[in-house]
Amino acid sequence: MVTRLAPDARSMVTDAEAEARAAGSSLVEAEHLLLAMSTRAESEASRALASVGLTHETITEALDGEFAASLSSAGISVDTGSLGRPSPEPPRRLRLSASFKSALERALTASAGSRQISSGHLLLGVLGADAGTVPRALRLAGINQSELAAITRHELDG
Amino acid sequence: MAVVEIDPLRGPADSLAAVVALRRLADQLEDAEVERAMREGWSWSQVAEALGVTRQAVHKKHAQRLIAAGVDLRRR
Repeated sequence: MVTRLAPDARSMVTDAEAEARAAGSSLVEAEHLLLAMSTRAESEASRALASVGLTHETITEALDGEFAASLSSAGISVDTGSLGRPSPEPPRRLRLSASFKSALERALTASAGSRQISSGHLLLGVLGADAGTVPRALRLAGINQSELAAITRHELDG
Repeated sequence: MAVVEIDPLRGPADSLAAVVALRRLADQLEDAEVERAMREGWSWSQVAEALGVTRQAVHKKHAQRLIAAGVDLRRR
């Protein structure tokens, strides 16, 4: 399946691992893929994201906001600046989370009939989640997920 | 003392997201504090006992990262 990834989509998958490492995560999650997609300018995915105001910075803000909101619903308020900064995971392959694998599976489904899995298919894969961190962060950022998916499909056709 | 109270009026989506966030917070805190303890000279056994896990488990989870971060782990 990996051989069917278009070059920009393949770079995004690699970048997602770097995003996970930078975030101090030992798993590559769907949100790390979303962050990675926002930084590849001139890709279908980043164009669709930018058209609704989603950049690396605004996605990071939304994810931080979701984290804080979810902790606060458990009665916990954390000044994330006060947490110690652990050293990042060493440069070995990080494990892929269920959310990341599901996004890839949906991207594969979305690419049916195409020669390769493009960055747009990857974004559709991430946007296919009904629940979890990404949908919650997008809602917090005021993004209509199905509208963004429609914009992405339009980019794919364009 | 902080009391964890999940508002029952919130649905399962919020409560399950709280579980995810708490796990992430616990992981971050563990990574940072295990690193701090080892930099301060704790042994793997002491850290393991403090966390209530085996020495092997804590070593497997953190050793590579701490070695890459330049923490001197000889004779622990």
